[in-house]
Amino acid sequence: MVDQLPNLGREAEMLAAMGMSSIEDLFEDIPAEVRMTGDLPLPPPQSEEEILADARRLLGANVAMGERVSFLGAGLYRNYVPASVFQLVTRGEFLTAYTPYQPEVSQGMLQAMWEFQTLISELVGLPVANLSLYDGSTAAAEALTCAVRVHNRKATEKDTVYVSELTPPDRLSVMHNYCQGAEINIKFLRHHADGTLDLESVSEAAGSCGIYIEQPNPLGILDGGISQLKDIIGEHTALIVAVQPVSLGLVEAPGQYGADIVVGEGQPLGSPVTGGGPIYGIFACTKAYLRLMPGRIVGRSIDVDGKVAYCLTLSTREQHIRRHRATSNICTNETLIALMGAMHMALLGPEGLHTLAVRNMTACLLAKQKLGEIENIVLPHANNHHFNEFVIELPGSSEECLAHLDTLGIIGGFDLSAWYPERKNWLLVTFTDQTSEKQIELFAAHLAVWASSRLVTA
Amino acid sequence: MSHLFEHNGAVGQGYSQPAPVLPASSIALPETLARKNLPRWPRLSEPEMVRHYTWMSKRNFGIDTGFYPLGSCTMKHNPRVNEVIAQIPGIADIHPHQPEHHIQGLLAIFHEMQYMLEVCSGMDQVTLQPVAGAQGEFTAVRCVQEYFRLRGETQRTKVIVPDSAHGTNPASAAMCGFEIVEIPSREDGRIDLDALRAVADETTAVMMITNPNTLGLFEADIVEASAIVHDVGGQMYYDGANFNAILGITSPGLMGFDAVHFNLHKTFSQPHGGGGPGSGPIGVKSHLAEFLPGPLVKKRPPVGDESQMAIDDMWYGWYQPTHSIGKVQQWHGNAGAVIRCWAYYRRYGRGLRTMSEHAVLNANYLRHAIHKAAKEAGVDTLVKDGAEAKVAKHEFTLSLQPAKEKYGISAMDIAKGLLDKGYMAPTVYFPLVVPECMMVEPTETESKDTLDTFAIHFAEVLQVDAETLHAAPITTPVRRVDEVYAARNLCLRHEYDDE
Repeated sequence: MVDQLPNLGREAEMLAAMGMSSIEDLFEDIPAEVRMTGDLPLPPPQSEEEILADARRLLGANVAMGERVSFLGAGLYRNYVPASVFQLVTRGEFLTAYTPYQPEVSQGMLQAMWEFQTLISELVGLPVANLSLYDGSTAAAEALTCAVRVHNRKATEKDTVYVSELTPPDRLSVMHNYCQGAEINIKFLRHHADGTLDLESVSEAAGSCGIYIEQPNPLGILDGGISQLKDIIGEHTALIVAVQPVSLGLVEAPGQYGADIVVGEGQPLGSPVTGGGPIYGIFACTKAYLRLMPGRIVGRSIDVDGKVAYCLTLSTREQHIRRHRATSNICTNETLIALMGAMHMALLGPEGLHTLAVRNMTACLLAKQKLGEIENIVLPHANNHHFNEFVIELPGSSEECLAHLDTLGIIGGFDLSAWYPERKNWLLVTFTDQTSEKQIELFAAHLAVWASSRLVTA
Repeated sequence: MSHLFEHNGAVGQGYSQPAPVLPASSIALPETLARKNLPRWPRLSEPEMVRHYTWMSKRNFGIDTGFYPLGSCTMKHNPRVNEVIAQIPGIADIHPHQPEHHIQGLLAIFHEMQYMLEVCSGMDQVTLQPVAGAQGEFTAVRCVQEYFRLRGETQRTKVIVPDSAHGTNPASAAMCGFEIVEIPSREDGRIDLDALRAVADETTAVMMITNPNTLGLFEADIVEASAIVHDVGGQMYYDGANFNAILGITSPGLMGFDAVHFNLHKTFSQPHGGGGPGSGPIGVKSHLAEFLPGPLVKKRPPVGDESQMAIDDMWYGWYQPTHSIGKVQQWHGNAGAVIRCWAYYRRYGRGLRTMSEHAVLNANYLRHAIHKAAKEAGVDTLVKDGAEAKVAKHEFTLSLQPAKEKYGISAMDIAKGLLDKGYMAPTVYFPLVVPECMMVEPTETESKDTLDTFAIHFAEVLQVDAETLHAAPITTPVRRVDEVYAARNLCLRHEYDDE
């Protein structure tokens, strides 16, 4: 702690200047009845070297995905973040700044976020983007409450939104927490057995405030039916689409098929998985939602000399001005991670994004071919196009299969019984730009051996 | 080039990638799925990209650039080893769905952080899941809401906040569906117990308050306030934005609170990154513990094979509270931020009290130094304390109301004048209860010399004439930015010429 406190040893001098004699004088306003007695029951202070050594010991005891062969995704995706992103984002001027309340000395971050808004806007095909929410789930939840604010007056089914029945329970739980205060009902959109959306069920949602679907969906399926949704639900029901942003190098931008709000986990662009945070949530929308949307927005303006300058704008939606009438309580967001996203996007360029999407999609395609050839393993949604991941149905429980693969140094995927309890044998397997052909072959070989052993014992 | 979209180099510039495992032609997406036009992103080579962002960074002010006395935000130094630690693959390359036996080290750190925050706050159980202070507020109020629902006390529809509260308090409670009752502060900026008594009744669910309050003053009547709220069956919520002032000295538990959030990015130095990420764990007393978002980390002695992977002979596992409100973030919160803050807390360990003592020492010293410098410069009639108090805690308020009345110089003018002196300006116009308010928080990581120099510069700015100050700043990358123009002429993205 000595290296963090420049005034250690100067206390007496500073106190004397104030006419005080002891540190205790500074706390005379704290009544004795609430005073803590004795030392905090915590370990002694450590030096930087000791902390780093202990961090390496503890974090080194974890199994990093890169130490193994990993096929785990289910919403977060192993990627490669270019070295320059880390080098630049840790520049102290970015890293150690607060929210840009004084625009004259915050032009760098403000401009970078205005550029981020443009990059996201272009990516998803909608005119407006904010500068991040906490993650994909909170972005989705805020999109639902935003849709109700905008559409409730004209909705025939008021205070109601529909979400895909495939939505992972943890994401759905966040939606419930954000929606319950406004007494919003969450109903479900059904899917066919092949994993695609049941458009009949979507027509039932016309007249509600909004529908939420994911493309690719939580099973990795790219659903062609989504292009028809806006025609089915009409202008008074919001079409909210969650995306894996890298997929948009190949897959149509939601703005092109009528999405009103696009959200998503920004992580694959710019951020390592990092245990699930800090990452960033994407939020983009049409102009009709602008004044009722959550989160901070940067606008381009001028200074007193008429020079281009940037500043936060539309703040009257926000909690520090509007207090309990704000569109959201969000204050701190994920700006620095969004900055990493902007840097990654800037480096990729349009063709780089396309290449990255191709790498992700072909890894998934090759795996589909190889795993599809295994006797005793079924791909229940094989007739669809997939991005990053797909379901395999095993001749035994996913739990057993994952435990077996773990002994071989393979993180085999995500046990879907955690989302859909009746699907004990469904495994969600994930392939990204970091997956090699060799890893896919190794995976297929081990899965084949395990599956055939199940065949014999069955 | 002045902005990103002016770069349009050769196709595929910037960042070369390995070949895909199959040719692109093997992907045959139908018309309904295939993207027709790629995003109109710029094309930059790596040197151009590096220079663009470096240029922008030089147009941004951080703690590393200079003194950052932004009240309520606790802009303390961010130790760099924390950034090194956050890049270790054992956190950077961890998936939240990995099984417990893959993440024993991570869970051990989570458990240690839960414990540390519990003992510092006097709470019984902490969750690390909320990712920002405002989300912590929302989460805690949700827990109280479910607690009352389970008890059948659904008539509790109101949340009380003082008028000096952070805007997130009423916003978070309103998001949960509560009605907000705002109570006025006393003339001296402190809580008005009579006003509280007048509104506290059987419809009260929660009172949200921060202590030290937003004027940097300790609410000595806090135990009485807690008793008033508890007597009507309500719950007390502690906004931890100002926790930096009291570690090891007092605690929300001792003051009678039932729930608290922590702004780890303030108290424990997660870099604020120009607006985030943060981390907003909450702690609660035992009667609320089973309502927390899950999972929480618990420890026990290892069984069988577990001992080979156990950390210091302990096994760490997830625990799902029985009446959990569910999740507020899909994963395990901002794990990377929690790791940085763990590294920060380890630097102090049981000496965290010294950190708070120095935060309070620096704030009081600076308050004294500013008044002294103003007096010596003969401008002490232009500035006064935002609230009368012998001692402040980790921050203090000034009122520029006299300068406003005498010369038409506003708190914002002084703020802009300070930018010209090479400082980040203090928080202005908050809390709303102080006219022409300036809220100053130096933090414990500033030297006496920096505080002395700032005080002299502050007094110099007070001596500048109104006309010059209205025109400030003049030395910054841009001069005063027209926020009204920005709102009236919305330009939220780059528009291409062909549009």
